Amino acid sequence: MLKSFATILYRDMCIVLNTASRVFMPIVYMLLIITFFSISLEGTTVGGYDNILPQIIWLSCLLVCLLNMDSLFKEDYEDGTLDGIVINSEILEISILAKVVAHWMFTIIPLVLVAFFVNLLLTSNLGISIILFSSLILGTLTLSLIGSIVASLTLSLKGNGLLLSTIVLPLDIPILIFGTSAIYNASIGVNYDSEMLFLTTLLVLFLIIAPFAASFGIRSSLD
Amino acid sequence: MKSKLLSLDNVSLTRQDKKIINKYSLDINQKQKINIYGENGSGKTSLLKMIAGITQPTEGDVDYDPLFDMNNDIFYIGHKYGLKSELTVYQNLQYTLNFSNNNGHSTIESELEDYSMKRYMNTQVRNLSHGQKKVVSLVQLTLISNRLWILDEPFTGLDESKINLLLTKMDKHVDSMGTVIITSHDIKDNFDNIKLC
Repeated sequence: MLKSFATILYRDMCIVLNTASRVFMPIVYMLLIITFFSISLEGTTVGGYDNILPQIIWLSCLLVCLLNMDSLFKEDYEDGTLDGIVINSEILEISILAKVVAHWMFTIIPLVLVAFFVNLLLTSNLGISIILFSSLILGTLTLSLIGSIVASLTLSLKGNGLLLSTIVLPLDIPILIFGTSAIYNASIGVNYDSEMLFLTTLLVLFLIIAPFAASFGIRSSLD
Repeated sequence: MKSKLLSLDNVSLTRQDKKIINKYSLDINQKQKINIYGENGSGKTSLLKMIAGITQPTEGDVDYDPLFDMNNDIFYIGHKYGLKSELTVYQNLQYTLNFSNNNGHSTIESELEDYSMKRYMNTQVRNLSHGQKKVVSLVQLTLISNRLWILDEPFTGLDESKINLLLTKMDKHVDSMGTVIITSHDIKDNFDNIKLC
């Protein structure tokens, strides 16, 4: 059981190491979104741009996560390795969880790390940067789990990227609200524990639900 | 003595109101080499997917021997190669070995040597030709020792020497209590040929 989890994790790590653009491009895209926000909001923000920068970074991360979600199972589906995973996995849900965790670890975590350093460099506020980092860690893993359910259901559809984003985006609203609220509360000195607790609860909930729902979706798509 | 490995009992498969397979029954025994042949669109691939457990029949049942372990006893190669193009040949085969619980007695190097592919061991799969990709996908068969090989048109894209080598490996597999099911468009010598209409 753990062997198949570790094997998929290691394989996906090797793929990322062999194709650096998988890590590099989302980071560039996120930095571009942050830059575009800065340009468009120049001189319009009351109290300074620094106050809303963490929220902009949060939203940028969410958008980049969404764009990446399409590739979660699609490549394995197209090259036939997904057939092998479905046939030969002792517990398919564990293999799916490995796919999601690998996607999060090797594509999203570098993004979150860059987000942390960008916020730290531009605001010089370590406390807020740490809260941004922790809320993004909790939030992006939940986003990946939610995305895995929809990605599995839209797997066999051609040009599924836009459909996937349209379905996933409304489901991501609670995570965005609680993620950005935690940062806002921290910035005005209000307790933000309840927001972090809610993000953790959502993460645990989807850690339980998503592998089962996605395995059903994958079996339906392959059928 | 050949014992029954699996049986298809009046299975049907319907897709978008079209009956692809209609009340089809078949018994497959251990140590059997079966060639399911037929015209394009006769449902050969769907039948293989049904046996492999990827597709569920809309009617009827696929019954396996109680000792048959679906997760560890089947190795399926469809029209797609089942290889990651970003990984090297060695990394792909190592993944197959690590994912399987039935490691065979041979090594990656010796299997690639058999197919004269050892020099491509550290080449990324994306840089191989279609025929070479096919060979790498077939190397997986003997690297792990799953009992039932399910191969969709395995000879397509292979040269004469590779076809003969694959046939020899299939014979060896059957001699060691294995079973082979393939699809093709015509009758094959030394196979139990079953026409699908």
